[in-house]
Amino acid sequence: MQQTKGLALEVRLSAYIDGEIGETEKTELDSLLARDDDARALLERLKAGSAFGNRAFEDFLHDPVPLALVRQIKQGPGITPRFERVATANLPKRSLRIWPRLAAAAVALFFLGGVGGFILGSAGNIVDPAPEAAGRSWIGEVAEYHDIYSRQKKHLVEVPASQAAVIESWLSSSVGVAFRIPDLTRKGLTFEGARLLVADGRPVGQLVYRDRESEIFAICFLKNGDGGKPDRFSETIRGDLSLVSWQRDAASFVVVGPSSDAGLQDLAQTVAAAI
Amino acid sequence: MRQAAEMKDFRQDLVSLLPKLRRFAMTLTRDVNDADDLLQEVCERAITRSHLWNGEGRLASWVYAMTRNLWVDEIRKRKVRGGGDMTDFFDPAELNVEAAAEKAVYVNQLHRMILSMPEGLASVFLLVNVEGYSYREAAEILAIPIGTVMSRLSTARLRLAAMLSEDAERRA
Repeated sequence: MQQTKGLALEVRLSAYIDGEIGETEKTELDSLLARDDDARALLERLKAGSAFGNRAFEDFLHDPVPLALVRQIKQGPGITPRFERVATANLPKRSLRIWPRLAAAAVALFFLGGVGGFILGSAGNIVDPAPEAAGRSWIGEVAEYHDIYSRQKKHLVEVPASQAAVIESWLSSSVGVAFRIPDLTRKGLTFEGARLLVADGRPVGQLVYRDRESEIFAICFLKNGDGGKPDRFSETIRGDLSLVSWQRDAASFVVVGPSSDAGLQDLAQTVAAAI
Repeated sequence: MRQAAEMKDFRQDLVSLLPKLRRFAMTLTRDVNDADDLLQEVCERAITRSHLWNGEGRLASWVYAMTRNLWVDEIRKRKVRGGGDMTDFFDPAELNVEAAAEKAVYVNQLHRMILSMPEGLASVFLLVNVEGYSYREAAEILAIPIGTVMSRLSTARLRLAAMLSEDAERRA
């Protein structure tokens, strides 16, 4: 508790509001407030300022945080060596006004290089690693599908979640991968339904989920037939999307979601255990 | 060496903290560009020093204190670069508040009003009134005496009350 005797009345009343004064001082101020109109008016002004400030500061939280920074934090050690290098190489030196520069670069690239330039610029300071591995080229196509289908309000899926048994039977036979639809409600995701896609010339199953903020997430899988060892989880960022992929037996899987989501790797691990 | 899983949790916690951290940085810098620069720097530093985070208390407190320290360092550097022309960090008369507010063209009127508050007021108000820190905790984060926290907080509240009245008059 603070000692406020001798301080200005507004300071004392401010501490009174916050409960930072002792019982004796509180009793004294209660008494003052009971008999002094000016003191009461001052207290009300302080309270009004508090309420107004709370509203104003709450509004700050609605500002978008810089996406490039979210990516940099997420791509710390432990994802892939490729990403470690990319993230390290692109960490800007102190005092650079990196986001305004990136925004300017994105605009310049858009006008100079067309859409390709815009995509590169809008990807922030992350080098797009998607063209990397030939074996993962399907992931790029999955990202493109997701970008389009996730905006479909009325036709988000081909088969709705209410036909879960049909989805499992249909996609298992179409894709050639046995699976169960993961229940991700504990992760805040509601199953919406499924689609059948084609990527890298092969059928791909897509299970679509929606979170509480209506962001769309998807699990995609295809039979790749190489029967390789289980892969570790690997994260790729393309535009505004993050994709965490892995392999199990003769099938490849990828979870797709907004790149600003901090928990996509956790989600992928949950899916890998449940699908 | 920090375990990979702990490091991942730390990074996830840091991402979750970003909106609040950016808001805190705005109260220190009162300039959107400076706040984003500061945010970037503090995140880099927090990650490289995450092994020093003991996991006790609020992560936000630890990162906020780091943010405040980095901003004070930046102010000192600017003083040196500017030949000492800059006024004291906590001098309310220091700021060209109109210029600072005008730079934030994309923020709404409420943001501009907050950014126009004299230096040191908004950060104290944010920590105590909005985020619920005690006077002592706020004083530790901002490295100022508790008495300064108290006086700045009451001043901030009265300023905000005045802004509320002005806002109401404008709307009338």
